[in-house]
Amino acid sequence: MDEQAELQEFQARIARGEKIEPGDWMPEEYRKQLIRMISQHAHSEIVGMLPEGAWITRAPTLRRKIVLLAKVQDEGGHGQYLYHAAETLGATREEMIDALLAGKAKYSSVFNYPSLTWADMGMIGWLVDGAAIMNQTMLAHCSYGPYSRAMVRICTEETFHKKQGMEQVIKYARGTPQQKAMVQDALNRWWAPSLMMFGPHDSDSPNSAQLIAWGVKTKTNDELRQEFINKMVPDLQLLGLKIPDPNLHYDETSGNWITSEIDWDEFWRVVKGDGPCNRERLAARRQAHENGAWVREALNAYAEKYEQ
Amino acid sequence: MDSQGQKYQVFEKERADLAHRNAGSVHAPDAEMALENARDVFVRRPNCLSLWVVPERAIFSKTVQELRDNAWREADAASDAPTETWLVFQKQGQTARETFVAHVGAVAACSPQQALSRALETFPNKNVFVWWVVPERVIFKSEDADAPSMFAPAHTKTYRNHLAYPVEPIMRELKSAQEMLDE
Repeated sequence: MDEQAELQEFQARIARGEKIEPGDWMPEEYRKQLIRMISQHAHSEIVGMLPEGAWITRAPTLRRKIVLLAKVQDEGGHGQYLYHAAETLGATREEMIDALLAGKAKYSSVFNYPSLTWADMGMIGWLVDGAAIMNQTMLAHCSYGPYSRAMVRICTEETFHKKQGMEQVIKYARGTPQQKAMVQDALNRWWAPSLMMFGPHDSDSPNSAQLIAWGVKTKTNDELRQEFINKMVPDLQLLGLKIPDPNLHYDETSGNWITSEIDWDEFWRVVKGDGPCNRERLAARRQAHENGAWVREALNAYAEKYEQ
Repeated sequence: MDSQGQKYQVFEKERADLAHRNAGSVHAPDAEMALENARDVFVRRPNCLSLWVVPERAIFSKTVQELRDNAWREADAASDAPTETWLVFQKQGQTARETFVAHVGAVAACSPQQALSRALETFPNKNVFVWWVVPERVIFKSEDADAPSMFAPAHTKTYRNHLAYPVEPIMRELKSAQEMLDE
């Protein structure tokens, strides 16, 4: 078959809702875009362990500690599922890890903000994992089989992440004046970064239309962002929390909550490596990688000896 | 660049009435470590009854699209190898929740190509989109005796389940209280 016929069949398969599997014909650009998306997603899970991992030793109760440990461990596992999916497209684990450690790979900008109090553990769970679930529920229907399967697994597990966060925010919002102040402060700091998680404005998202045509995404960044805002605003207000946006208002005609324009300068600054914690996050990843080198060496030596 | 070791595909059996199905892959220096890694990566929650790891390079895989041309049949080189048992795996669905490559049975063969030919005859099914065949000898399986220590701990970790956080009733209550105030 020539390229044009292959391409037509590929589009027809996507239109029929078939999953594309490793080994199937796919346009080179489909492969490239998926490797870009999936590896960034994997890196986000791995770097995403850091803001919360920092609080494991300072959990207020034993229950909160095991819950947070389990959540952070899940994020590590999700990174593994996703590296696996990217590998099925021809990327190697070594290349991806190298790109992350060298500071060449992108990951979600939200993880470059610091977690300053325990209330952040609740707010991250509800806002950041909540936003991630919205994106991932869409991606579970993605046309690429291995990515879609990884998303199904991840979504099931992340529901726990979101709800444990929600539980904490509810407790704090209905707690002592001090707890209320803490959780309001957490919302003030995490609101904007969580809206940025949906990525650049549609007008700055050149790949979106193609990704939708290929059945990778079904909604644009701005559509998902608006859905998230519409879901979160009433819930947070119900708890007596104030959304940190003086221009927030409800639009009767569209039924949407309208927010201020996102600070896109800040968004691009953080994406390009100049956020509050970018350097710290990469330093932590490098240190973990280097400190684990002797373990990898020992395991390889053992495996070689055993094989002989 | 540090090597991450060999790649192993992981198969997980979630219920007694379900076959082993492909969950994803792990990297490890040997099969034993691969099984340990697979347990940490894929069995943080119930239910798992058994895990298999298979070196990826030992898997002969074809999608339906790849089977359309018969060139793979002619590449049947190692036919003087001894006959052995090959396990057959199929992907039978196209929706997100059912597109897993799952174990369906076994055939005897002396090469990957022969194993796949026999699998196609033995397990014919119009709704198969992916075929994998693997010599059973290279599959490293969890032992039944190890199941309690490998898989049972996940059962007591109920806090990993979202049902342990009944937040919706609280939100509903708040909402109806708010609505009463508004009226």
